[in-house]
Amino acid sequence: MKDKAEIENQFPAGTAQNGRLPARSTKKTSSPLTWYIFLIPSFLGILLFMIYPIFESLRLSFYQSNGTIEHFIGLENFKTVLTSGPFWNAVGNTFFIGIFQIVITIPLGFIFASLINSTPRGKNFFKVIYFLPNVTSIVAAAMIFAFVLHPEMGIVNYLLDIVGFPTPGWLSDPSTSKWAVILLAVWHWIGFVIIICLANLQAISPEMYEAARIDGASGLQQWLFITVPNMGGTFAFLLITGWIGALQRFNEVYVLGGPNGSPARSIQTMGAFIYERGFTGFEFGIASAATYIMFMIILVFTFINLKLSNMKI
Amino acid sequence: MEKKCFSKVNVLLAAVLVLAGLLAGCSKSGAGSGKADGEWAGQKINVQLIGDFAMETKTDPVTGESVKGVEVLKEEFEKQHPGATVEFTLMPWEGYTEKTQAMITSGDADVYQMPGTVDFAPQGVLEPLQPYIDKDEEFDLDIFIENQVEGWKALGPDDDELQIYGLPFLGDARFIAYDKQLFDEWGVEYLSDHPTMEEVAEKAKQMTGKNPVTGEQNYGIWFRGDWSSAFTLIDLAEGQNGSWGSGFAWDEIEFNFDSPEMVNGLNWLLDMQELAPEGLVSNQGNEKWLTEENNIAIMLNQGPGDTVKPAYAQGLEDRIGIAQEFKNDEGVGGLFAGSPITIAKDSENKDLAWEWVKFATSEFTQQYIFEEMGLVPSIKSAMEWDSVKDTELMQPVFEAMRTPWTPRYPWGSAQPRFILTSEVEAALTGERSAEEALTKAQKESTEWLDNR
Repeated sequence: MKDKAEIENQFPAGTAQNGRLPARSTKKTSSPLTWYIFLIPSFLGILLFMIYPIFESLRLSFYQSNGTIEHFIGLENFKTVLTSGPFWNAVGNTFFIGIFQIVITIPLGFIFASLINSTPRGKNFFKVIYFLPNVTSIVAAAMIFAFVLHPEMGIVNYLLDIVGFPTPGWLSDPSTSKWAVILLAVWHWIGFVIIICLANLQAISPEMYEAARIDGASGLQQWLFITVPNMGGTFAFLLITGWIGALQRFNEVYVLGGPNGSPARSIQTMGAFIYERGFTGFEFGIASAATYIMFMIILVFTFINLKLSNMKI
Repeated sequence: MEKKCFSKVNVLLAAVLVLAGLLAGCSKSGAGSGKADGEWAGQKINVQLIGDFAMETKTDPVTGESVKGVEVLKEEFEKQHPGATVEFTLMPWEGYTEKTQAMITSGDADVYQMPGTVDFAPQGVLEPLQPYIDKDEEFDLDIFIENQVEGWKALGPDDDELQIYGLPFLGDARFIAYDKQLFDEWGVEYLSDHPTMEEVAEKAKQMTGKNPVTGEQNYGIWFRGDWSSAFTLIDLAEGQNGSWGSGFAWDEIEFNFDSPEMVNGLNWLLDMQELAPEGLVSNQGNEKWLTEENNIAIMLNQGPGDTVKPAYAQGLEDRIGIAQEFKNDEGVGGLFAGSPITIAKDSENKDLAWEWVKFATSEFTQQYIFEEMGLVPSIKSAMEWDSVKDTELMQPVFEAMRTPWTPRYPWGSAQPRFILTSEVEAALTGERSAEEALTKAQKESTEWLDNR
């Protein structure tokens, strides 16, 4: 066993903290360089695939460009997009689908989470069952939903017919196609909402419920006056992330209605509008301008959401 | 001292790894100097192909049979061109326009299979082929089925007249397909080879309802009401001696979307929709087509890829009939389709690329694409092959290839196509009348043209 003097020789006074051995002094001089070199590929990736496209897209938004031949036209692309009927139709569709997805999914997910949380048995089973849609690829899910909502052979219309309700054309009718997308979006997102709500529900102190029970509060009163107020942060989080996802919606509407959001542009979202003009019509300037306008819309809307929800980020 | 050495080794190792990673990422795969000997020594081309091509032998998901890969083409081409090396970039149809744009912008390939020649030629990224045709005594444009070369002509950035930027590689066509068994069950005479709108409407009406033999619900007709509906409508106008408009260069184009022939055509589609299953606007209702349980008598605007190979794979070839799309008084009408083969302007080995273009249109390759892949050949001599003669459904396909509207609709992948499609959908879903929809399509397309 080494005596105290020997240890002090090896590690001069002041270098040991709380009896622990200090870190190797050599790390201080050589580690940063080594790790910066390791980080170069990531930095290059960010530079090439994130920073550069952002600025290139901004540049393109001032040009009439088909990818190779370009003419500077100033703000004309922005003017074209902002005065375009199909663009505002796409904005309207995006918000319509987003609003109803959020208004339906968050309360419904919270109710399901509360029921699962109060279930004495099988919590994990229900968590898995409800979360399954969320891990399903939205593209695959959209393809399946096209069958589920088939006007003649789909299971939804089959069930509606059994109970005597009208059987809509769903994806072949502009008045119902948005609701078909909302149905798919709610089905896909609700598992995530349930899991997030459950995490918060399980973090609420049991003592609060115990005290309420002693004071004679009913189950509904406990839920209304303890559970709901304690969920504020979670609701704000779901609201903001839900809106960002909803405003960027593309995959499912592309699968269900193609880039021009068939039928009659009824499910064309902002993302699909950008895809249609950029990648199928070779109007990269228009697509880039629409991307920046969409970015501004998301930015402003997220800012409003943050203010309304009092969420601090 | 030992620690310092270790740190230096660490830094060195990291630097080497990063450099190796960068070099690996930036280098072209398979880059090599080619073979040492032969007329084409050291020359290499990269060929991009779109579709179900595979490098090696694979199983066809439709027929279940073994299909040879493009290694067959590589081997033969390199044998015919000693010293040359050919490599392939194979891509699926999904998103091919975007991928082709990315590839051609970054100079990834020398030769492209390019259905969008009309969009790429104006960018100045394609090599005009007329000079190669002129100086190559071995090559003759007469080898191709009539109208195929004409159909792929396009305008380059400095051209005043249509030029050849691509030669026909894959053939394609649109036609009307029908189920002979349903016609027999209903006691209706088969469609004539060149049916009129009236004939199709009358027969479709007769075959809508409960099948007198099976008792099943049958539908007289189906057409895709979304993605390709604009082209279905244009063909209806052509069948009445109308047209989509005129011109090829954007500054010369005039649309004719609101013409009486177009309005009449859209009203006809609205009438036909009553005889079709629900859901054609969302590409639904035709699920039983090309199955034993088929319930649709007539299918408008079909292609050989959707019809011929699946019909033979299902053993339904005797049940399927093919009639021509609606033609004008000169016998012209219907969408021109297929894939030409083109050379990139920035190819470093253009002479070798031209050799590949010739090879791609040679009997060897054309036979390979038909017999292995089931794709439609573009050369006249194909009609003499036993494999083609044995495939009876191919005969009307070749006829359809001779008579489409050419050159290809220049707005086929531009905004007017989407405007027209959306307005056809609006009419089919009852949002607007045929006249209102087409007036709107005409106005929006013309405005787009003026502002571009």
